[in-house]
Amino acid sequence: MPHMKELIKQGRLMKMRSSLPANSAASWSSMITGTNPGTHGVYGFTDFIPGTYTVSYHSSHKLKAPPFWMTEPEKRVLIINLPAAYPAQPLNGSMITGFVSPQLEKAVYPPDLYPGLRDGGYEVDVDASLFSRSISLFLQKLEETLDRRTRLLDHLMEKDGYDLLFFVVTGTDRVEHHLWDAYADSTHDQHPEFLGFFKKVDAAVAHVTSKLDHDAPLMMLSDHGMGPVETAVNINTLLREEGYLVTGNTPRKNFNNIREETRAFASESSKIYLNHVDRFPRGSVKPEDTRKTQGELVDLLSGLSYNGRKVVKTVHLKQEVFRGPEAGNAPDLVVIPENGFSLKTGLFKESLFEEDFLSGTHTDDDAFLYLRGWSQEDELPGHPRIEDSIHFFRKLMENV
Amino acid sequence: MQHNEEKTCWNCPAALLKGNVDFRACGQSISAIRNKISEEGLLIECARRPDLGLFEPSITFEQCPEWSETQYGYLLKDMRVMILGIDGYLGWTLALKLAKLGCRVSGIDNYLRRKAVAEKGSKSVVPIADMATRLRTAKERFGVDIDFRELDLLDRDELAEYLREVQPEAVVHYGEIPSAPYSMVDAEHAIRTQHNNTLGTLGVLFLIKEICPEANILKLGTMGEYGTPLTGRPIFEGLFPADAVLTWRGQEWSMGGELTPRDPASFYHVSKVQDTFNVYEACKYWWLRSYDVMQGVIFGVHTEEVAAYPDLRTRLDVDEWFGTVINRFVAQAVLGIPLTIYGSGEQIRGYLALEDAMECMVRLLSSPPEPGQYDVVNQLSQLYKVKELAEIVAKVGSQRHGLTVRIQRVENPRVEADEHPFLVVAKKLRENLGYQPKTPLEVEIDRMFTLLLQPRVRERLESVRYTVFPTTWWSGEHKETMTLEVYEPGTHVTAGYSPDLVVSDHDGDE
Repeated sequence: MPHMKELIKQGRLMKMRSSLPANSAASWSSMITGTNPGTHGVYGFTDFIPGTYTVSYHSSHKLKAPPFWMTEPEKRVLIINLPAAYPAQPLNGSMITGFVSPQLEKAVYPPDLYPGLRDGGYEVDVDASLFSRSISLFLQKLEETLDRRTRLLDHLMEKDGYDLLFFVVTGTDRVEHHLWDAYADSTHDQHPEFLGFFKKVDAAVAHVTSKLDHDAPLMMLSDHGMGPVETAVNINTLLREEGYLVTGNTPRKNFNNIREETRAFASESSKIYLNHVDRFPRGSVKPEDTRKTQGELVDLLSGLSYNGRKVVKTVHLKQEVFRGPEAGNAPDLVVIPENGFSLKTGLFKESLFEEDFLSGTHTDDDAFLYLRGWSQEDELPGHPRIEDSIHFFRKLMENV
Repeated sequence: MQHNEEKTCWNCPAALLKGNVDFRACGQSISAIRNKISEEGLLIECARRPDLGLFEPSITFEQCPEWSETQYGYLLKDMRVMILGIDGYLGWTLALKLAKLGCRVSGIDNYLRRKAVAEKGSKSVVPIADMATRLRTAKERFGVDIDFRELDLLDRDELAEYLREVQPEAVVHYGEIPSAPYSMVDAEHAIRTQHNNTLGTLGVLFLIKEICPEANILKLGTMGEYGTPLTGRPIFEGLFPADAVLTWRGQEWSMGGELTPRDPASFYHVSKVQDTFNVYEACKYWWLRSYDVMQGVIFGVHTEEVAAYPDLRTRLDVDEWFGTVINRFVAQAVLGIPLTIYGSGEQIRGYLALEDAMECMVRLLSSPPEPGQYDVVNQLSQLYKVKELAEIVAKVGSQRHGLTVRIQRVENPRVEADEHPFLVVAKKLRENLGYQPKTPLEVEIDRMFTLLLQPRVRERLESVRYTVFPTTWWSGEHKETMTLEVYEPGTHVTAGYSPDLVVSDHDGDE
């Protein structure tokens, strides 16, 4: 990646911690608001509708803290492919949201951008299920999507002037999830294609940065790291085996199967909820039992091992990591696995451990942050979290 | 426990299907085309609670504040129900009942029924108000607003506009010509019946797909679609149950889920069978949802709403085309005509009082099928032989109203089996929807006598006396039917096959 290499020489590159939990909805919400989920209220792509076991999906209307472009409304911004920002909301500038954006029409602002995008075949994301049918078509689609995004950038920047450009590449995440093994093994059939895709990404980075003055403030970051996965761990299976989760048999395999004997259940890979009496319709955990149950679960999860290897790196307690007005809605525990393990939360999986169908999974402590134009005199914290990044960027902008 | 409390957004017409999401690799795949939507990772938006954003369709009716508890189960608050054929015997009765339950009722009618009955030289023997008076009276007496458009079902442009305006959450389709003899008069009547019923329904399905695909479609079918198989094989509820097996040449094939055979008995019944296939296909192609309501023969005049005030009464026809058997028997008894049974009178049919039919419809509205689901209910409360019905009408007429009632056997103008076995399954309304028959046959017959004996009604009845006797033959002839025998009630026993109604899984268990 020669262009990236060149850019790195011009600025500072460091490791960054992702959000808690380390999923894209929580991390991008942290990035754009400069706050942690206890303040912005987004703990993942999913949440539970109060008084139900129904999973609701993220929407930009659920973001409880203002994103950076709302705090500096005088700046004209162009945002392309920002995850967890759907539906697009009015702003001074233009926005095309990233995944998850079910309807393209609602993913764009201003609305008059929509017909051109629709007619040009713009796709927010590539159908991930394509991977199982054709790896080469999957990669081809990812490249096409990246191309369309850069062409869109050209088109919009020709039309209009912007003070701030925000461009997100999603394909790197998809490729690494599915083809980490191809990356790690130079003899793998898809190894050249994996590297080829990153060459395209490098070219896209060059293309995007070419729109800027050579000394314009530039920040690059990833919202999480990535590493190999060998084993998937079905957390709800563990909770069921240990008596924390009791399920019924409704016609569908959703959380409506949770019976009132349930004390805890996991959702969206790393989030564990206690079945609180005041939160869920068949709740059983009273407020005074919260700490005790959390403690039991920390012991249970910390003691979990597979083939002699520890499975869980850390279990965070809600009250210890989330601060702010939205902390009450947080999951009661957030579980961080050791490298090599991924957490799954299917309700009816029989085996506690199984092979993951993916070969790469998110890591929480080795996202990257890159800053160009950072004064050498200004200190940087040794290991920042993603919510710090926008504050650094503001500082970069002040120096312009 | 309410019958539908565990139903979820899957069953709710306010749930708008928005596509699928796949989070397995933090990615997504969306297929927004309706017939490509799959169950896995389905996202919906609530038309009534847009603040919830996108979510999985799993909120139960019990949990959802938009569904409120009624005596018929949870019912979607202020449900927008459009009734096609709202001026008819059933349409008007249901409109009042739903409006009183808090539904926002709308409807269309082109007065086809009033005109067709007039064509026969007959009229509703119970005086009925014109639509404007009906609507005004409903407002005055019950404080309900029912919205009405005079509109032909076949006028798709006008209907489309009205559907767009109303955005119904349920469509009750009563807008058909409901008469077997009418369809057998001649080519013109047969074609009119099939054109109105079959093509009308097909057009409505296209409009629903375009405008309100989430709506719960209650399509009125008829038990007559099935015919009366002489082997006595069971009449299932439209589709074979999972354990049905066909054995042929020593091999077994599962029939579970397939449509059961239809054997219609008139060109009218053929139109209903054609409707069944059209509705079935529409559900399959476009993820529409429908109950095909295989209704037994309706009788009676009473619901709490229509009986509340004269201008709210629903029609009652007793002529040979539009009168159904029990209604006609009561009319004949009042007129002093011996009750006309066709052939041996051993024909077995399913029956249902008007009041019970309305309750069944409310229950079906309370528990919509899932998107793409075509479901069928056999809607009846009891099976009777025609001969038995004549005896019961005669008994109520003589014992409670002092009438002298006799029975006559006439030539059967229809092509049908006079004597046949009849094993009917009618479980779903009872087992899944909490229905229990409420109105005993004798009670409703008594109500009918009381109403028809009122001087004003009796006078109207006398004026249509000559339309009561059957003259329309399935052969295409138009002639008087000959009386084979006139007899006193209680002198003839029924013989042969016994009606067999299965209303629960446990029926027939040792």
